[in-house]
Amino acid sequence: MEDFSAVYRECYPRVLAYAASHAGAQRAEDITSETFTIAWHKLDQMPSNALPWLLGIARNLVRAARRQVRHDELDDVPITDDFVRVVELRAALSSLSEADQEVLTLVAWHGLAAAEAAQVLGCTTATFFVRLHRARRRLQAALSFANFDRARESWKTS
Amino acid sequence: MEDLLKELAQAKPPALPVDRERMESDLARIIALPRTQSRRSFKRFAPVLVAAAVIALVVVLLPKPTQPVQPAASAPWWHALTQEWSLMVVGNSANPYIVRLDSKTDRWQSRNSQVTVLQKDGTVEPFSQDDDAKWEAAGKPATVPQAYGSHAVRIGPMKPAVQQSYVSGFQMSLHSPVRLDSFDALPADPVELKKTLATLTSERTDYRIASLAMDVMTSNVRADQRQAAFELLKTLDGARVLNNVLLRNGRYGIGVAITAPAPFQFYQAETQFVINPETGMPILRRDVLTVPQFGMPAGEPISEEEYLLLEATNIDPIVPQDVPVNGEVESPIIER
Repeated sequence: MEDFSAVYRECYPRVLAYAASHAGAQRAEDITSETFTIAWHKLDQMPSNALPWLLGIARNLVRAARRQVRHDELDDVPITDDFVRVVELRAALSSLSEADQEVLTLVAWHGLAAAEAAQVLGCTTATFFVRLHRARRRLQAALSFANFDRARESWKTS
Repeated sequence: MEDLLKELAQAKPPALPVDRERMESDLARIIALPRTQSRRSFKRFAPVLVAAAVIALVVVLLPKPTQPVQPAASAPWWHALTQEWSLMVVGNSANPYIVRLDSKTDRWQSRNSQVTVLQKDGTVEPFSQDDDAKWEAAGKPATVPQAYGSHAVRIGPMKPAVQQSYVSGFQMSLHSPVRLDSFDALPADPVELKKTLATLTSERTDYRIASLAMDVMTSNVRADQRQAAFELLKTLDGARVLNNVLLRNGRYGIGVAITAPAPFQFYQAETQFVINPETGMPILRRDVLTVPQFGMPAGEPISEEEYLLLEATNIDPIVPQDVPVNGEVESPIIER
């Protein structure tokens, strides 16, 4: 029980962050709580590096919640020079498939190594690299498209 | 491209502040819940050498069941959730490349009925970055021909299918037509179990017996029957005990390897069956190359079935609502 509590306290913030980024802040705490409840019931299966396994559980819970919530509010971004770029990046990200978003954010937002992210997604590391490569390319394409759109809008108004 | 990921990291939403009060109250509530499985210490807190020694010992003496021998669970459903993948060589034989077929199967079985969700979360895509490059160079075809075969495979997502049947008795596995009225009568002695399994099939090769023994282990049998099946596997001709199998989740399993008949497109492989040394429950079954083939080294898995869930449950099957029951199964493998 002490071991579980230690893992719980260590991983709680990162599971919460994962849930918040994929299902929205309102549902994040409930999803996190449910994740650890399932983990408690499956304690015998908990690996030594528990975080990817926990995120795998959270991922399944997030999928259902995600269909009901969009969370592309930008209230959290201060209006600075980077604001436009952040808006572009998040808009481009949200234009991608859920699978692409997941691959990219596991690495860029949740700081997982490729092997850990592969574990969350239930695929091999080699497969993960392929998916990451494709998702990055599609994100780049989405950004380029957005930039082209903006340029076209400026032509209209100039 | 790397810069793009760094930029994306900068666009990360701020972390949600942790509500410590809720966190601790949730923890208190969770650890007050009854657990469905026996507790044990995490390996993270055990020295690696001790763990290795324990595993080695367990190889010699198959783990005793953690619970007293008792009849198979009386819950109405046996629920098996598996993740399968396999590799297929495609393209022209002068410049072949490899695609991976990946999906889950959700299967519920009761005395008189079986419900199966096939091709769940399924997808077909190039296996490695090199394979991806070859597929792109070929113009990213939606359908690619099998190399050395008469079929083709569709790249992209698979369409799930739901199958439901009402037939008395238990089918041993999706891959086997063998049915039993009950698992209770299966012997808990390896020698007797082998004799019984041999009566269930006309193909009495050691590999066929091994396949049936593996099916027994993934079924709703008692722990002593499962243990007998594993002991049986170890006695088969050419069987090799796997002492220390490193799994993707960082844990270790023990298992048995047995020479496999040449899988389609490949010519030398063995089937490995890996179990959890602490519970005796199956973890995975996979076919592994024993000599380098198609640029892949010996030891490379070419197909795998991972047992994500094997449990008796009172919860009725959960099937996708938008998929017709017993509708057409749109396999990704199609006629050319």
